[in-house]
Amino acid sequence: MSKTEVNVYKAIIIGGSAGSFQVVTSILQALPADFPLPLLLCLHRLKHVRSGFVEALSLKSKIPVIEPYDKDVIKPGKVYLAPANYHMYIELGNRFALSTEEAVNHSRPSIDLSFIAAAHAFQHKLVGIILSGANKDGAYGLKTIAELGGLTIVQDPSQCEIPTMTETAISLFPKHHVWSVEKITNFLINLK
Amino acid sequence: MTAEELDIQLFTTAVKQSSGYDFSDYSEKSLRRRLAKVLMDNRMDLRMLVAEIRKNPQFAEKIVKEITVNTTELFRDPAVWQAIRYRILPQFKENKTINIWHAGCSTGQEVYSMLILLNEVGMLEKARVYGTDLNSDVLETARKGIYKYRFNIGYLDNFDKVIKENPYNYEIFYDVPYSKYFDIDKNKDLISMNKFLTEKPVFKKHDLVQENNIFPCKFDIIMCRNVIIYFNYNLQNRVFQLFYESLHPGGYLILGMHETILGPYSAFFEKKEQFYVKKTT
Ligand SMILES: C[S@@+](CC[C@H](N)C(=O)[O-])C[C@H]1O[C@@H](n2cnc3c(N)ncnc32)[C@H](O)[C@@H]1O
Repeated sequence: MSKTEVNVYKAIIIGGSAGSFQVVTSILQALPADFPLPLLLCLHRLKHVRSGFVEALSLKSKIPVIEPYDKDVIKPGKVYLAPANYHMYIELGNRFALSTEEAVNHSRPSIDLSFIAAAHAFQHKLVGIILSGANKDGAYGLKTIAELGGLTIVQDPSQCEIPTMTETAISLFPKHHVWSVEKITNFLINLK
Repeated sequence: MTAEELDIQLFTTAVKQSSGYDFSDYSEKSLRRRLAKVLMDNRMDLRMLVAEIRKNPQFAEKIVKEITVNTTELFRDPAVWQAIRYRILPQFKENKTINIWHAGCSTGQEVYSMLILLNEVGMLEKARVYGTDLNSDVLETARKGIYKYRFNIGYLDNFDKVIKENPYNYEIFYDVPYSKYFDIDKNKDLISMNKFLTEKPVFKKHDLVQENNIFPCKFDIIMCRNVIIYFNYNLQNRVFQLFYESLHPGGYLILGMHETILGPYSAFFEKKEQFYVKKTT
């Protein structure tokens, strides 16, 4: 992939569930402080770790990690974590939109909903990544990103603590890139 | 105008003409998403839906109820309720009355959360509590105070955090039984608020888009949580103005965990933690 191609991306969105926390932490740790894009995280969390999640992710990250407020403008060089108990969408004008609509497949935030919203907002300028998880959330959303021309990456299921989520994504759309965490990290670091 | 924008406009115009409700200043994408859901649920396409709305005001009213998001919980976001209990309510302890308005209260769990807190701090007697919503069905449920237990089971944890524990002093533990406030019937899958709670609040239909303060008083606390996330900037401003005018100086506006005042009205409130206090001048 040439540098110019890389340059076209406007946002990264990562979805993960059980077993993804370590992976996300290691990715954030590796990214430079001047990372040039907004990085959206849609992670399921246990009912009891509703607070403290941002703090835990911030510990190792050189980029500020925040839970966005409704209608916040999406800015480059920030990590945005979907807040517990809300769905995270993207409204007109490059802004976040939060919603308390019903959980989808027992999940709020729902990775599918965030991915679909981001796919429509950023089209081919989006990179979507699915990590370890024990359910099927995100598979449909990642497929949507691919269909709208975005770059889609699945963590190699053989590396996942729980491979259900990644395997579902691949079986729904076999043309996703299947990469190791190292390769995903290097790819992101080189987005300059 | 794109085809999608046109669709939304067709829809909002039909609703307005048939029922009087005005959705034109709701967040566009969120409205579009809800519209897609309503079309699916009713197995209709937009043309059919709009035609039916125009023909039949009752159908329009039903669609309005389906378009809005009504999810709510008992003690949603316990940290907020802890702050209300230990930081906000004590400031009004010496007042003769305390007036509280829950705008967009849906099925009322938020109102009962407040009533339970007021009772715990000994202020229920002097409180006047109003709950309003656009949707008369949710208000009917709110008046009854009977909910599916299944949906609320996770929230007994929240009750424990807010009512039994004291986050500022872990040595304190208030052993408050659930039966003091509600009955849980596991067979019927119901949780019912006790009578002394359901008798207390006044629930009234009210539209934040078009109406002003319909109560004969100003308020010490206005709670409006997870309602303005569905509004655009213009409508948010209108609502902030309404709340500003309806609050006593020093009164509190409590928005949802991830909502803020953007725009001109932020200058008229002082931000304390996640709360907004109406400035005196
Ligand atoms: C997601 S619920 C919020 C319930 C509760 N405040 C909470 O946070 O748990 C949003 C409520 O706002 C109401 N609503 C929407 N538009 C409204 C309007 N224009 N006027 C009054 N209520 C409105 C809906 O009917 C719905 O019950």
